[in-house]
Amino acid sequence: MQRDKFFKEIENVKHPNEKLIKTHCSYCGMQCGMNLRVNTATNKIIGVEPRYDWPVTVGKMCPKGVTAYQQTNHDDRILRPLIRDDASLKGTKEGFREASWEEAYDLIAEKFGELQENYGKDSLSVFSGVSMTNEKCYLTGKFARVALGTRYIDYNGRFCMSSAAGGFLRSFGVDRGSTLPWTDIHETDCLFIAGSNTAECHPTSMFRIWNVQERGGYIIVVDPRETPIARRADLHLDLKPGTDLALANGIVHLLIEKGYADEEFVNQHTNGFEETKELVKQFTPEYTSYLTGVAPEKIERAAEIYGKAPNAIVMFARGIEQQHKGVDNVSGYTNMALVTGKIGRPKSGVATFTGQGNGQGGREHGQKSDLLPGYRKLTNPQHVQEVCNVWGITPEEMPKPGVSAYEMFELMDQKEIRGLYLLCSNPAVSAPNLNFVRSALKKLDFMVCADFYLSESAEFADVILPSVTWSEDEGTVTNIEGRVIKINKAQEPLGESKPDWQMQVELAERLGKGKNFAHLKTAKDVAEEFRLASKGGSADYYGATWDKIEKQDGVFWPCKDEKDEGTPHMFLDKKFYHPDGKAQICALPYRPPAEEPCEEYPLRLTTGRVVYHYLSGNQTRRIKFLKDMCPEPYVEVHPDTAAIYDMEHDERIRLYTRRGEAVYKVKVTEAIRKDTVFVPYHFGHEESINLLTIPALDPKSRMPEFKACAAQMQKLDSKKVL
Amino acid sequence: MKKRLYIELENCIGCRSCLAACTQCGGHEQRNRNYVYDVNPHVNRQTMPLMCLHCENPACARSCPAQAIQIHETGAVLSALVEKCIGCQNCTIACPYGIPKFDEEENLMYKCDLCIDRTKDGIPPMCASVCPSNTLQWLTEEEIEQKQRRHDLDNDKWVTSMPYLEGATNVKVNLPGILQGTEKLF
Ligand code: SF4
Ligand code: SF4
Ligand code: SF4
Ligand code: SF4
Repeated sequence: MQRDKFFKEIENVKHPNEKLIKTHCSYCGMQCGMNLRVNTATNKIIGVEPRYDWPVTVGKMCPKGVTAYQQTNHDDRILRPLIRDDASLKGTKEGFREASWEEAYDLIAEKFGELQENYGKDSLSVFSGVSMTNEKCYLTGKFARVALGTRYIDYNGRFCMSSAAGGFLRSFGVDRGSTLPWTDIHETDCLFIAGSNTAECHPTSMFRIWNVQERGGYIIVVDPRETPIARRADLHLDLKPGTDLALANGIVHLLIEKGYADEEFVNQHTNGFEETKELVKQFTPEYTSYLTGVAPEKIERAAEIYGKAPNAIVMFARGIEQQHKGVDNVSGYTNMALVTGKIGRPKSGVATFTGQGNGQGGREHGQKSDLLPGYRKLTNPQHVQEVCNVWGITPEEMPKPGVSAYEMFELMDQKEIRGLYLLCSNPAVSAPNLNFVRSALKKLDFMVCADFYLSESAEFADVILPSVTWSEDEGTVTNIEGRVIKINKAQEPLGESKPDWQMQVELAERLGKGKNFAHLKTAKDVAEEFRLASKGGSADYYGATWDKIEKQDGVFWPCKDEKDEGTPHMFLDKKFYHPDGKAQICALPYRPPAEEPCEEYPLRLTTGRVVYHYLSGNQTRRIKFLKDMCPEPYVEVHPDTAAIYDMEHDERIRLYTRRGEAVYKVKVTEAIRKDTVFVPYHFGHEESINLLTIPALDPKSRMPEFKACAAQMQKLDSKKVL
Repeated sequence: MKKRLYIELENCIGCRSCLAACTQCGGHEQRNRNYVYDVNPHVNRQTMPLMCLHCENPACARSCPAQAIQIHETGAVLSALVEKCIGCQNCTIACPYGIPKFDEEENLMYKCDLCIDRTKDGIPPMCASVCPSNTLQWLTEEEIEQKQRRHDLDNDKWVTSMPYLEGATNVKVNLPGILQGTEKLF
């Protein structure tokens, strides 16, 4: 299935006393195929071997993937539950003692029970993540709502994919991150890529992306920085951070004005064209250039290339989504495809680069404050009933919608939320406005953290439960394309660690909800219940059985039953998921970033990733190769700007905003706008750039504006440093 | 069909996955044997791998007084033989590209052996297996000839490998500029 010209039949190297376990990388949404090498004498993972037979990535991996296996038997693994009796040590690594699972579970049940008795059901919260299997994501939603009975559950996708989800739902009526399989990418004629540092964040897309140019096609990149992909792009639109919507409107205006709109498609399959046409009229190249800082000729050329291209794909990532108008940015760029009809056929469409390994699947099955499995809504009584039937509870027992990730910290600060069960996430590094978030975590009466390493967030916990790495459990993940794939178990859990689903089943028992959980004895049991719970929802996984995944090299959702082979291309019948079957072209008034530069804070601060680290860095900062390659954060500054501030390459300087400050080494580079500085966000404690970022939330997706705020730099008084 | 390592410098994204992967080959003892350079770090993000080119008449082997550097029948210029290498480091100086690395503790030279464990059986070397941008590829002679025809612009500029390199090499290199001859689709 989908084997293309990059696919080669290659046999793997077989070493004596070794077996290969087919699986996928633990990190980003590419979910590169890999084989874990397992020593058959010790039954331990000892290395990695390319998985040439995986049709999406054909053996390729970035350095995170190559070294991912080193997580499993790492010295930093937590091997037994840890309890800290002295709450005054919260926010440090100190004071933890080893305990038995019995003691840890008893303590959690007692403390959670007390809090709920004294302050009500909703005094507890669950904060989760999507770097884990669908089965775990699904069960976490059920754990919060059935075992804990709290409305407060949300997840780190609010810092990652929620704007893409919101934008796609509005434009298409369905949120599948890519409307086409990745094996289409190199066959298109134009890639329009906005706010994606693809070469560093999704490196194994690059061999397909470069091939577009080798075939004579075009790459257009929108980014404030000249990233490795922007360097070779045919056109680099170097906009000011936070001005994407203006650029999108400007290009849509030109597409319409220059006659590239597909009238037949627009008339038959979309709503909102006339209104949008009116609204974007004011976004002339000159006005768009004034707002975005991109030269008018470049905007015109971009519209011309995209308009002329027989096939084109619009792609974007966190650069446009992590803004307080992230949802509008997504719909704004999606308008380009809808106005020109470049969607709903092979080689043309729209895609977001999913950040986390299971950023797609993890957001569909009920970890979000207002969603239930299968992308069902908590506010829809029929949806609630359907899920209640699977869970064995009554609609009255189903908690109401809660609040988004960042807003949960506000409730912790107000002592409305007093207890937290944290898993698969490290918000003490990844949330915005960290001074506030860290103080809110400190205020909690009781906090549990499940992790396999002692993360910066675990430093706030009273109890740490040792979870397993991805290689010690099995289950499904939904990759960047919307393809459901299988993660396989290569090693038994290290020490006394356990998979999250098992902890939740065992805790539910202590919390008196055994009857709803006790039948879940294996990951496969959870998978079966999860498929059933998604059945009939818009993200229907019922037909995505493990056997079918194995046989077909993955299954694209929706996949409704045993016979359904899944849906690699969305909307081939030009039917969108809104009730009238039409897509929505959106008229979106432009808004500037929440915080614009001013005299006091004249610079635009933007944040992002480097190729060597993943998210908060809790995993990758512990891997020697990756740590050696990028041991600490830095601030990228244009040489002209550095000259104004009298700063030199490698000099340590103070960077600050209205919310916080940090000291960074200056990295002087012409590959950034003069009015913008950039810092990677993978680092903890006083090195976290999120001490400075702004918690301005998108009104729909509740995504914070990580990508744009106002900042200032200052030379350090060298005497004061030491 | 004989396959060769082929390098297309234009594609490199500087991810250094080739370095990480090099440690994974059997007998590499977690040490990588190639290099990736930032070409002009204060100006742009251009990077390039620097690999052993497995010269047909390798200066490193010629310079070795102890015959520690063997040439495999596939053409791969191997890492120093532990029992023969005397640690003189002649090879590190003789190689025009500074490829051989030196382990001070073991008093032993080590270098790219083209993942001989793999390539002797026709399996691609680790670096070319993982390289996400297809900078490093493992191609048949025929595929390399096609590349050469495609990128030979008849102006002495963008040809594969010769004459810019020291001498005839088993590894073929395409210098930056491969897109200059590409005809645009529209
Ligand atoms: S981090 Fe992403 S691109 Fe890198 S190997 Fe893992 S899945 Fe592939
Ligand atoms: S793996 Fe490929 S793209 Fe990455 S640094 Fe090496 S040669 Fe360059
Ligand atoms: S490139 Fe250097 S190390 Fe490699 S074969 Fe040639 S001379 Fe020897
Ligand atoms: S061919 Fe093998 S030994 Fe040589 S650099 Fe590549 S991975 Fe390392």
